[in-house]
Amino acid sequence: MRADFTIYSRSFFMLALLAALFLLLPVVFIFLYAFHTGAYFSLPPEGFSLRWFYSFFGNERFRQAMWVSIGIAAIVTPLSLLISVPTAYSLVRGQFRGRELLNLFIMSPLIIPGVVTGIAFLIFMSALGIGPGFIALVLALTCFTLPFAVRALVANMHGLRPELEEAARNLGASEASVFRHVVLPQLRPGLLAGGTFVFVEAIDNFSITVFLTTMDVTTLSVESYGYIRDFDDPTVAAMAAVLVVFSVILVLIMGRVVGLDKMFRVE
Amino acid sequence: MHDTLAISRRNALWGLVPALIVLLLFFSAFGIFFLSSLQASGEAGGLTMAHYARYLGSPSERDVLWRTLWISTELTLGSLIIGYPMAYVIVRSASSGWRRFLMLSLVVTFLSGTVTRAYAWLIILGNSGLINTFLRKTGFTDAPVHLIYNETGVFISLLHFVLPFFVLTMMAPLKNISRSLEDAAVNLGASRWRSFFLVTLPLSVPGIVAASSLTFAVALSSFLFPLVLGGGRVRMAANAIYELIFTRFDLPLASAGATVFLVLSLFFVWVFGMLQRAVQLGPSVRQQ
Repeated sequence: MRADFTIYSRSFFMLALLAALFLLLPVVFIFLYAFHTGAYFSLPPEGFSLRWFYSFFGNERFRQAMWVSIGIAAIVTPLSLLISVPTAYSLVRGQFRGRELLNLFIMSPLIIPGVVTGIAFLIFMSALGIGPGFIALVLALTCFTLPFAVRALVANMHGLRPELEEAARNLGASEASVFRHVVLPQLRPGLLAGGTFVFVEAIDNFSITVFLTTMDVTTLSVESYGYIRDFDDPTVAAMAAVLVVFSVILVLIMGRVVGLDKMFRVE
Repeated sequence: MHDTLAISRRNALWGLVPALIVLLLFFSAFGIFFLSSLQASGEAGGLTMAHYARYLGSPSERDVLWRTLWISTELTLGSLIIGYPMAYVIVRSASSGWRRFLMLSLVVTFLSGTVTRAYAWLIILGNSGLINTFLRKTGFTDAPVHLIYNETGVFISLLHFVLPFFVLTMMAPLKNISRSLEDAAVNLGASRWRSFFLVTLPLSVPGIVAASSLTFAVALSSFLFPLVLGGGRVRMAANAIYELIFTRFDLPLASAGATVFLVLSLFFVWVFGMLQRAVQLGPSVRQQ
């Protein structure tokens, strides 16, 4: 078979290209709109300026929300990974009854609608006397992001070559030292991929977060929603441009280290 | 799995302790929440099904549930029509440049933030936005075409939101279909379309079910896009529940609604799971 023979027809390729352009349209648009001088959209655009970036970074509430979002992600990401490493290891290498059921339970936050989780945590946190706020956000988002980390690590562990662990065991290493010296060093791709997902979800989440923020403790997603509801100017576009650049850099680094298709492999 | 790799039951259970604590937290939240949907209002206390009766008895709430199911079905079909070719080209393209471009469009979209995307669609589709300005300047229309605050805007933005979920899930099953089966069909004289409809498509049915299941579940629970692009006129189930809390301050009714919605979502996950088992192929036709 010739290597350049394409198995799909031209119309199939056109549909795929159309889908990609449809996906890129809002991202490219919002990026350009962030540099638009006027407060309202116009075609052709009214010049080029950085004024909305100043508007974003000069806004007290946005700055505060940015620190809250970064703080949440900085706590939730390591916490979620720390919990998922032993969990994934037990799920992959352990043999006990109810493993499938447990896996289903761990994955359930992915299926449960975010609004339902948000209300449940709001009621629960109020009943505990903690109430909405930073702690409630950290707890709820740790529960919500755990499946992302566990999935990435389980996929990683399934791909490990069994001979290495077998050799270590045959040479007399204990279970604990096999884990520490053989398995753990091989988990870098899973930790990076899982960590990226958790970080992005923790910053981006809206449907759970909106129930648990307060007047003083608010996140970037909730604050920017409030802004686009009340104002009509490209300040949020400037924020989006910053976030897009940040996440693209993050992904390019991850892609270098792990490989993009490996990272987004959905099992 | 190699039995020699298995770790002892004791160590496996210790490893699960942190996750079990998280699950306990998660399900206690749901337990207390479920209780609040059963709590009778007023001083008397006690348990009641009254809030469920109120929720299911309301024609407008039932209407929202139906509409949510309908939009989610449309979105799943839409994702299938444009997402399937995309996944297929990514998996089968000989050009690594195209593969990388298509992958990048998925990944950038996935990471660009949901509020950002909702806002972008608001400006693109708005009455004086990108599309309407373009249509006016080219003399296509005089009056703006209404694309937001109606079902069109909600559909377009949601299709954009769910599409990456469909494509990323569809890729692995397509990759697992042996290329030689497709090549054989073409070599034996079938046209590319014939080989696609008779070989590739039937072999990818389990993948289609898996990807549709995830897409449907994500679509069902959508909240932000209808909130921003529906402008209060188009509501999906999650938005209706949010309104019960924040505009009608009726927490028990909202909890009852959320429980009904949760049961409905789990029901569809279960249906798709059954469907998936029904269409599962034997290992012989899959590439090892």
